[in-house]
Amino acid sequence: MALLSAVKMVLVGAPPSDTDGERGLLRRARTGDPAAFRTIFERHSPGVWRFLRDLLRDESAADEATQETFVRAHSRLSALRDEDRVGSWLLGIARHVYLESRRTRGVHVDVADEEHAHQVEAVLPTPSPEDLLLDQELAGLLTEALGMLHAERRAALLLRIDHGLAYEEIASVMGWSLPKVKNEIHRARLRLREQLAAHVGGGRP
Amino acid sequence: MSTCRESELDALLAGELAPEDAARVRAHAEGCAACKHALAWQRLERGWMAQRARREPARPALSFAALEARLAHEPQAPVRHARREGQWRHWGKMAMAAAAAVAFVGLSLPRGGTGVGGTTEEPWSRELIVATGVEACEDAAAALEARVGACLIASPMVALRGD
Ligand SMILES: [Zn+2]
Repeated sequence: MALLSAVKMVLVGAPPSDTDGERGLLRRARTGDPAAFRTIFERHSPGVWRFLRDLLRDESAADEATQETFVRAHSRLSALRDEDRVGSWLLGIARHVYLESRRTRGVHVDVADEEHAHQVEAVLPTPSPEDLLLDQELAGLLTEALGMLHAERRAALLLRIDHGLAYEEIASVMGWSLPKVKNEIHRARLRLREQLAAHVGGGRP
Repeated sequence: MSTCRESELDALLAGELAPEDAARVRAHAEGCAACKHALAWQRLERGWMAQRARREPARPALSFAALEARLAHEPQAPVRHARREGQWRHWGKMAMAAAAAVAFVGLSLPRGGTGVGGTTEEPWSRELIVATGVEACEDAAAALEARVGACLIASPMVALRGD
């Protein structure tokens, strides 16, 4: 029910800014307030870990990479500007940690992601409200399907649909142009839907 | 020029569009089977991602103590926390803001009508596209939540540990 009141408040004009409170926190963290950095950690580490787990596809490696991300963040706090969003900044660091980790771990061939997306949408079932429920098994399938995406494309899609970054922020994190971000996310979506089609709408047993 | 843009539908769901743009995209999507189809998928994706995030178990490596221990061995100045209060202070605001970010997932859940599927030409009710207001939204979301006894749609950004 908390959700419903939140939704209602949003609709009646409560401030929806997700940077609410972050600026002051950031300022305090930058000036060396350890409690502020701890708050940043508590708030953002689950998302950072999930992002890294989805990229690395390895939970233990994600543990280590999450720590490394926050160690780096801690040493770079002073580089942050007031207008930066802590979440996307951290995910940007996490992405670098992931890229380095991938290089260090050596061979990591991405699953081929052939572009046959054009016909895909025509045969996809349309999800119904019943499909919205995600049980344990489906959650596993979803993670698996995400893992099938090309790594870069997967990262961009996750930044959008899991971590709520704006397209511009994703462009900054990925080092891509805005049109490329939109294009890659679109392709990732089509590919993901193709993977999940058997589990929604009429396709679901 | 095509008016079917997945990124615009996405921005609509995320509540990122200016009112006039939102109205334009909604108006288009209302009459466009392809966009209705894409919107249904986008809602599913967001809903599923949110639930998946909430299911993530806590990780021992996510403890601040572990990080502190590591920082203590870094050449940079270590974090020494003089006080421990207040770290959860902003969760309320965050939860609300995050709910806002994904609110549209829940705003327009269509009522009834299971088993829609098959072709992209399948018509969807107007409710799917247009968030008609608090009441409709609460009805739809509450009905679904009541059935499963849980809050379906929350943001992955507030994946509280121990949830
Ligand atoms: Zn369209």
